[in-house]
Amino acid sequence: MASFIQLLVSGLATGAIYALIAVGFTLLWQTSQTINFAQGEFVMLPAFFVLGAMSIGAPFWLACIIAIGLSVLTLGVVFKFAVVDPMLKHGVLPLVISTIALAVFLKEAVKDFYSSQAQPFPTLVPANDIHVLDAVVSTQSLAVLAVAIVTVVGLNLLLQKTRLGRSMQATAQNPTLARILGIPVRRMVLYTFLINAVLVAIASILISPIYLAKFTNGETLGLAAFIAAIIGGFNQVRGAVLGGVILGILDNLSAAYVSAQYRAAIPLLILIVVILARPQGLLGRVEERTV
Amino acid sequence: MTAVLQVEKLCKSFGGITAVNDVSFDVREGEILGIIGPNGSGKSTLFNCVLGQLSPNSGEVRVDGRVTTGMRPCDLNRIGVSRTFQLLQVFPQLSVRDNLILAGQEHRGSMFSRLIGQSDAGLTPTAEQMISFFRLSHLADEQAGLLSYGQQKLLDAAMAFMAGPRLVLLDEPAGGVNLTMLGNLRERLQAYHAERKATFVVIEHQMEFVMALCTRVLVLAEGRIIAEGKPDEVRRDSAVIEAYLGH
Amino acid sequence: MSRVGVAALLLAAALAVIVPFFLKPFGIYLLSMWAVLTIAAIGLNLTLGYAGQISLAQGAFIGIGAYTTALLMQIGVPYALAFAAAGTLCFAIGWILGYPALRVQHHYLAFVTLAFTTLVFLFLRNEEWLTGGIYGISGIKRPVFFGWSTAKPLDFYFFCLAVLVALSLATWWMLRSPWGRAFVALRENPIRALSLGVDTRRYTLMAFAIGSSLGGLSGALFAPLVQFLEPASFGLNRSFDLLLMVIVGGSGYFFGPFVGALISVLLPEWMRITEGYYLIIYALLVMLLMMFCPSGVIGLFERIQRMMRRRPSGLAEVQTS
Repeated sequence: MASFIQLLVSGLATGAIYALIAVGFTLLWQTSQTINFAQGEFVMLPAFFVLGAMSIGAPFWLACIIAIGLSVLTLGVVFKFAVVDPMLKHGVLPLVISTIALAVFLKEAVKDFYSSQAQPFPTLVPANDIHVLDAVVSTQSLAVLAVAIVTVVGLNLLLQKTRLGRSMQATAQNPTLARILGIPVRRMVLYTFLINAVLVAIASILISPIYLAKFTNGETLGLAAFIAAIIGGFNQVRGAVLGGVILGILDNLSAAYVSAQYRAAIPLLILIVVILARPQGLLGRVEERTV
Repeated sequence: MTAVLQVEKLCKSFGGITAVNDVSFDVREGEILGIIGPNGSGKSTLFNCVLGQLSPNSGEVRVDGRVTTGMRPCDLNRIGVSRTFQLLQVFPQLSVRDNLILAGQEHRGSMFSRLIGQSDAGLTPTAEQMISFFRLSHLADEQAGLLSYGQQKLLDAAMAFMAGPRLVLLDEPAGGVNLTMLGNLRERLQAYHAERKATFVVIEHQMEFVMALCTRVLVLAEGRIIAEGKPDEVRRDSAVIEAYLGH
Repeated sequence: MSRVGVAALLLAAALAVIVPFFLKPFGIYLLSMWAVLTIAAIGLNLTLGYAGQISLAQGAFIGIGAYTTALLMQIGVPYALAFAAAGTLCFAIGWILGYPALRVQHHYLAFVTLAFTTLVFLFLRNEEWLTGGIYGISGIKRPVFFGWSTAKPLDFYFFCLAVLVALSLATWWMLRSPWGRAFVALRENPIRALSLGVDTRRYTLMAFAIGSSLGGLSGALFAPLVQFLEPASFGLNRSFDLLLMVIVGGSGYFFGPFVGALISVLLPEWMRITEGYYLIIYALLVMLLMMFCPSGVIGLFERIQRMMRRRPSGLAEVQTS
């Protein structure tokens, strides 16, 4: 029982991180038809911003802020204006190909210009274990959970309770109608890119202590984002959260009960099963058939 | 008099908005039915429900007595229902002739027999007939994308007729076409109708086009049928006039 | 095809036959690799360029084809049968994978193939009893046909070239049939195509299955070419490489894969001066290409041709306006 609780907590913590990545991914898809195949690399990169800032003397907390800022700049603003906008006029396919190329680019850039070795990454709180109901739970897991929950709740509040958030949702559901209603669609789309940049930066800071900062992190994290988004249901932000959490818990459970060799196969099999049995995901709406 | 198309109590809503509200009508063999109505009256939604592009919330669509509600457009086409489009009608990179052959090929044999059979599926004679009927002979080998808008509209109609359909639904055929070409189009549609005893349903904005072409007219407003009858009767109906003027 | 196009084709064919005689074994090997990968690229071009679907599994299909061929030959199956088995198996797997994935609107096939490639890699790496795990399979022999051995580099190259020509002709013939017209319709205007009775789902599935089958056949040639197989050769990197081949060459053009494969096989050699930064440069170039000429190299040539043809009449337009 104790180990189950441990697994559950660490699973929730990992799941919360996956949720952040999946939510950003879903938002981009919804508002601007951008299937960001580089989402994994987007999560891999900010950790290196942190390490870079720290190597020139910044304390961890400042480095994190700098990293989030840089992330917003490069993965938000530059990504939208230099990559997505010029590409969208050619259609979805060239954009998807570009994000695939971008993923390769970011991965290789980090490998060549920083390091190909895994780098240790500082935890949010000093490593410590507390005892809950006979189980040993690390404070890091709890801190991760706390930050992730605050972020998701904050994002949800933004989207549901503020005028800005509701405008963004309107833009996601029906851009033409939104434009008619006077919503500055282009600015709303920009905001989703910025939000995604913040989400991936936070996710990066949370997950790098566990995975270590390595240029190959993007592959697994990207896959996790796609699977979580699809499990939850592509057209729902809530779905992405649910998908992320489910994936995180399953991931950690399978670490304990499935052979190390095939552990990575579990999320992949779940993806295939979901697409077979319920392609709209757990929370998604069945979309009107247009073709 | 057999009803080729039967629409019964069709309803379609999007979120809180009811676009089509309990619409029922029949289309008799050999008639040209016009469906008109102001913007937002639900014409396009009704059309798309009949054609399988949208799934209605309730109600039934029957073609020759056979239930077709929610059928995929390609299956609907194979039982004899054809359509033209308002926009994006042709395949720009294929030649005019190839466009027509494509329009008919899926009705010839099985998928496999089409792979090993003739490259034109035996449709060149029919395509040539269609080309001369619509007076596109000088353009037969041109890429369809290079045709003028009016010529593309003619090609679109020709493509819809290639497989000899039971029922043809025309979506705003007059949209954006100049007067001369419009007269041309109407004349060709009437000629085809007379020759083949075809059954048409036409959605249109342009009153003159509808009045000149259709044998019977339905008027839609806010998702419901508000008038029905011969073009002249409908034109003078007070409810219809109000529906149009009120917008 | 234009006269320039025919001339270019004849020239390329002549070079393909003559140049190998002047190359060292490594050069012949590269050319053989080009022929083999072009087959896989032709398959991916069907899926991507004609049916408009992104497949990230082509690398995995090459792997399945390669391992199937190697293992069958190990138990004494003649090469021709192993070759056919590789193609058939990949066709079946492609159909099974595609069937559910293509029922949905979005680019689900991309994700399914992504997951599939990773699964295949895991399988190849873990099932050591069958695949040799990370140690792979070595010592694969080159086939012998009625006494003619393809063991020597030049002989094997011409064998690959012959298979490439045969498969290209088969693909060309398929594209000339009503299927080809349906594929173009699928790509240009799927909604209109549906309304004309074209079963877009069936054709897309068929394109993907045939494309995957060609990947398997490519693998069947890959195995005796490289004569050593390991799981790492058939993962996501290989799939990306093939995707980029099709895109850079010109997706949807018949000769796109030939050009794209040539660039991809030769690029690392040219980029040796950049000392391993070549992947970054390649990725950057792809992004720029997508921005300015998403129809790839062949698309670029076509655009230039059209511009040159328009020049004389373009002047007349200026004068009358």
